[in-house]
Amino acid sequence: MASPQEDGNIGPMIRLTGIEKSFGGTKALSGVSLTVERGSVHGLVGQNGAGKSTLIKLLAGLLRADAGQIEIDGVVHDHLTPHAVDALGIHFIHQDRLLVPTFTVGESLFLGREPRIAGTPFLDRRKMQRRAAEVLDRYFGLRLPTSTLIAELSTAEKQIVQITRALLHAPKVLVFDEPTAALVRREADMLFRLIRRLRDDRITVIYISHYLGEIEDLCDTVTVLRNGRDVATKPVAETSATEIAGLMVNREIGELYPKRTAALGATLLRVEGLSTPGRYEDVSFALRRGEVLGLTGLLGSGVKDLVRTLFGLEQPASGRVEVDGKTVWTKTPAQAARRRLALVPEDRRRHGVALDLSVAENVTLASLDRFTRFGLLNGGAETAEANQLIDRLQIKTDGSDALVRTLSGGNQQKVAIAKWLSRHSEIYLLDEPTVGVDVGAKVEIYQLIADLAARGAGVIVLSSDLPELLGITDRILVLFRGRIAAALDTSETSVDAVLADVTGSSEALRHVG
Amino acid sequence: MTLVSNVSHSQSHHGLLRRFARYALVVALVAVFAAFSAAAPSFLTVANLQSILVNNFTLLAIVSVAMTFAVAAGGIDLSVGTAIDFSSFTFVSLVLAGQPVPLAALAGIGGGALVGGFNAVLISGIGISPFLATLGTLFIGRSAQQILTNGGNPVYLPPAGIPESFRFLGRGVVAGVPVPLIAAGLVIAVAAIVLTKSRFGRVVTATGIEANVVRYSGIALKAHVAVTYLLVSVIAAIAGLVLTSTVTVYIPSSGNAFLLNAIGATFIGTTLSPHGRPNIAGTVLGVLLLSIVSNGLLLTGLNFYWQQVGTGLLIFVVLAISFANRKAVARA
Amino acid sequence: MSVEAVPFGGSQQGGSEPAQTRGFGASSGTAGRRIATLLLRGGSLAVFVAVLIVFSVTAPYFLSVGNIGNVLGQSAIAGVLAIGLTVVMIAGGGNVVTGGIDLSLAANMGLSAAVYAALSQAGFGDAVAVAGALAMGLAIGIVNALAITLAGIVPLLATLAVMNVVAGLELVLTQNTVIPATGDLLTLLSGSGPFDIPVLAYVLIGFTLVAALVVQATPLGLRLYAVGEFPEAARASGLSVKPFIAGAFLFSGFCGGIAGILSVSYLSGSTTGAGDLLLPVVVTALLGTVFSRRLVPTVIGTLLSALFVSFLVNGFQLLNLSSTLVSGVQGLLILFVVSATTLLRKQETSA
Repeated sequence: MASPQEDGNIGPMIRLTGIEKSFGGTKALSGVSLTVERGSVHGLVGQNGAGKSTLIKLLAGLLRADAGQIEIDGVVHDHLTPHAVDALGIHFIHQDRLLVPTFTVGESLFLGREPRIAGTPFLDRRKMQRRAAEVLDRYFGLRLPTSTLIAELSTAEKQIVQITRALLHAPKVLVFDEPTAALVRREADMLFRLIRRLRDDRITVIYISHYLGEIEDLCDTVTVLRNGRDVATKPVAETSATEIAGLMVNREIGELYPKRTAALGATLLRVEGLSTPGRYEDVSFALRRGEVLGLTGLLGSGVKDLVRTLFGLEQPASGRVEVDGKTVWTKTPAQAARRRLALVPEDRRRHGVALDLSVAENVTLASLDRFTRFGLLNGGAETAEANQLIDRLQIKTDGSDALVRTLSGGNQQKVAIAKWLSRHSEIYLLDEPTVGVDVGAKVEIYQLIADLAARGAGVIVLSSDLPELLGITDRILVLFRGRIAAALDTSETSVDAVLADVTGSSEALRHVG
Repeated sequence: MTLVSNVSHSQSHHGLLRRFARYALVVALVAVFAAFSAAAPSFLTVANLQSILVNNFTLLAIVSVAMTFAVAAGGIDLSVGTAIDFSSFTFVSLVLAGQPVPLAALAGIGGGALVGGFNAVLISGIGISPFLATLGTLFIGRSAQQILTNGGNPVYLPPAGIPESFRFLGRGVVAGVPVPLIAAGLVIAVAAIVLTKSRFGRVVTATGIEANVVRYSGIALKAHVAVTYLLVSVIAAIAGLVLTSTVTVYIPSSGNAFLLNAIGATFIGTTLSPHGRPNIAGTVLGVLLLSIVSNGLLLTGLNFYWQQVGTGLLIFVVLAISFANRKAVARA
Repeated sequence: MSVEAVPFGGSQQGGSEPAQTRGFGASSGTAGRRIATLLLRGGSLAVFVAVLIVFSVTAPYFLSVGNIGNVLGQSAIAGVLAIGLTVVMIAGGGNVVTGGIDLSLAANMGLSAAVYAALSQAGFGDAVAVAGALAMGLAIGIVNALAITLAGIVPLLATLAVMNVVAGLELVLTQNTVIPATGDLLTLLSGSGPFDIPVLAYVLIGFTLVAALVVQATPLGLRLYAVGEFPEAARASGLSVKPFIAGAFLFSGFCGGIAGILSVSYLSGSTTGAGDLLLPVVVTALLGTVFSRRLVPTVIGTLLSALFVSFLVNGFQLLNLSSTLVSGVQGLLILFVVSATTLLRKQETSA
């Protein structure tokens, strides 16, 4: 169990120097250095795409750096494997919890290192329960019935089980990746108490979070990543949420965004008092022709659910949606599509495009009726439509009959959008449209969004990339914990202001400031 | 859910292995054909080739075409035999009751469709996986037939009471081609058009590849899945009519005899498609391969029972090549 | 900085309301699920008991030791096969199509029985015949395991093809006839043991107990479940998945061999038509899941399910009802079970 470090060990626990990593042509990390002191709680912040997850995967041995050096506990490691990392005492608490749903808490904790009844090949379930109860009690002051099934636990409890699993390994370093994203406050409190306990036990903690308030409260040191570089490492005592937020944002990519002047037309979509308890509450807004509306919020803020509801994937408990002045109730995506709504989902590879269908088959999938006569498809017309859209969107492909699987992420995304252009949709819901897309394709997608608006469509862009939202939208709605926390005019706001609303730190800043 | 397309071929990859795997089915077909022509003098005769088509090929082809739709939609239908039986039972019973043959045949299709409707409710309505749903249907169907036939007694048509039109369906010849073969040809042709050229076929194929994307594209996914399983049963019901009119008897639960070979033929057929998709042409070639092997093994004087070993080995080898190749491609 | 007070960066006044409700919603959902699971499990046990009661009231002989022993003995072959399949289902996970299924099991039993009978008829002793049958079963298991883990063929198709080959080999070996077999071991197995209960009944109980101990009470069993249900979690716990899957198919092959020996003793030789047992065995293993608290395949659950089916057949016979209804009852049960679990899962994901 968490024993204090031996006194002989001095120097930092983890030292990364000059780490570089590229994927294809895209540089994810360009010379990142990070030093994590022994027994400290080290915060790691950055926007989506700043390189946090790549850096963590390198540390976990899941990826290999192109250049740079990883030093753990004073030893340089050239070939880190997940197994070796495990043996070094570094453990990761992931967002997606790797626990078998039909296992009991005890079984989950000890899977792979099961205690046996001495002298027999049989599981010592009693010992499993007892040790599990001990650890849970020691670190959480918690009495979780260790015979409960994982499926019956709340999200927070599952996370606790995962942390406990790591604690049973007597870890030296624990890496928390967005641990509070799905927790309620009471549960988060418990987590924070635990992390302080760990610090007292001289366990090193790397803490990744979007909530800057948490970083301020919890961490000793914070490192800010931006565009694959470490832009600053500071003692938390000497900085502020405002300063961190400022460091996180790259202010030099304004030229990425197309110049456009909004010519707003009639109201296309009106949402009134939309509520689903526990997801979003009393959401009202309108979208006009020619408008690009930004929508942002943290995980659990309700933005995703809101967009899913608009597209008929979920049903609201109450409220009203109007399209072109008529109240509509979209119970299915099919009905939504008929109302000329289009969704370009975030999970492109599972929801957006069928990787093993051809480009043409994907492009016409939402508009098959247009190419059908007497039940039969007009293949020539399909190909023509696909080729026209390939041209218009500059989709790089071997041809309209190439499988979408063979395209790059950005071009796959263009196919996902082309699908709705072919259907002549008018209300576009774009969920994180530029995630996993290289810069070149990003610019093209921004231009495409501007073109759509210019042609009189209404576009809602859901994004957690704030500079992007500021660059391409007319207005921005910020959801915080299910409610509209701010409705901002893009021309009159700043990244800092939006970020404050997104993280709910506008008040924290007031407290601190 | 999907069996075939989870690992797929990359367009740019043109390895030798892949090209071989792609044509493994055609190569196997030619090789087997040549081997039997050499080994058994009676193999390469018009009479025998016709016998292969009529006796081995026809029924299995129709059932396999039905199965192809289920597999193309990312599922499977274990109850095709049940649909055959229900169709057969309804058909025979009505003919026996003196109803006109066309009406009886139509009712037979309806009887088969009943099975499909039941599957559709289970799979599309409740959301049970196709394997389990159709397995349940298979069992219930078996019991229902036992009850309908007082414990499993066959229903014979007395030779005297068989109407001419009935005889025509099973034994008739038009322009030198046996009617059952014409029926199979029609089913194959229509099915091929539906699966590759129709809107419905496109949706089915897309569903088999990524059902979520179909739903997210604003297509009524559930309705299409329901119609797919209905269609599978209707096609199987046609096989039931052909079977009944050929043998002039309904034997309870006899339709299941086609199940495993139909699955085998369908999956062998996927190797013909560049992207491993279930397709009618591949399925038909698969059926042809199985038919030739079972006929040829018989003629070569090899022990009658080696037939099944031979077919099994063949299916195994084709599958192994196909899957090993997909793995190799996925790794590349 | 006062940390306890401002965990989410300070928005104190009920900022976490929606998330809070979500938390409660989830837990009430799981409570609902727990109740539904209990109902399903309790319901199926209740049906089991109710059937026993109805039969014992209407057919007095039903509840006698002799009859129960007979039923157990009659369940032995299908029971052993279903347990083999259960292990494959555990290691392969819930999805029958892409995961754990062994369609070659029944054919395996037929061929192993044929090997036993042929060896016995050729004058070899019991030991050789037993070794031959078990080796046959294991060999089939090895072929399955290689096809699935090395060639990467999905289990449904791999075992389908193997089933065809095996069934064919059985026909080749037996020329589609009955090969009679006798021997001390067979006499022993087909006889009666203590309390005048068939030896096969004891074999079934013994086999079940051993299998249940290994699967339900050892680390190996626990890992088998992890591999089947959540391979990523198993990998994250340092387990490699393939050896477990291969092992499961080896075990089911072995079960086919054992069932082959049992069937030779039960029928005094090898007989044709082993393949007919396939679907009932699949259904038995699938039905067994309702007897477990977690709605997963378990050895004991499979035994109960096998007994349930045998009791149904037996009861119908005693009541002079057509035992053909059994297949319908099985079909309905499976649909009921699967619908219930599907709907439960739906409720869970929407909660």
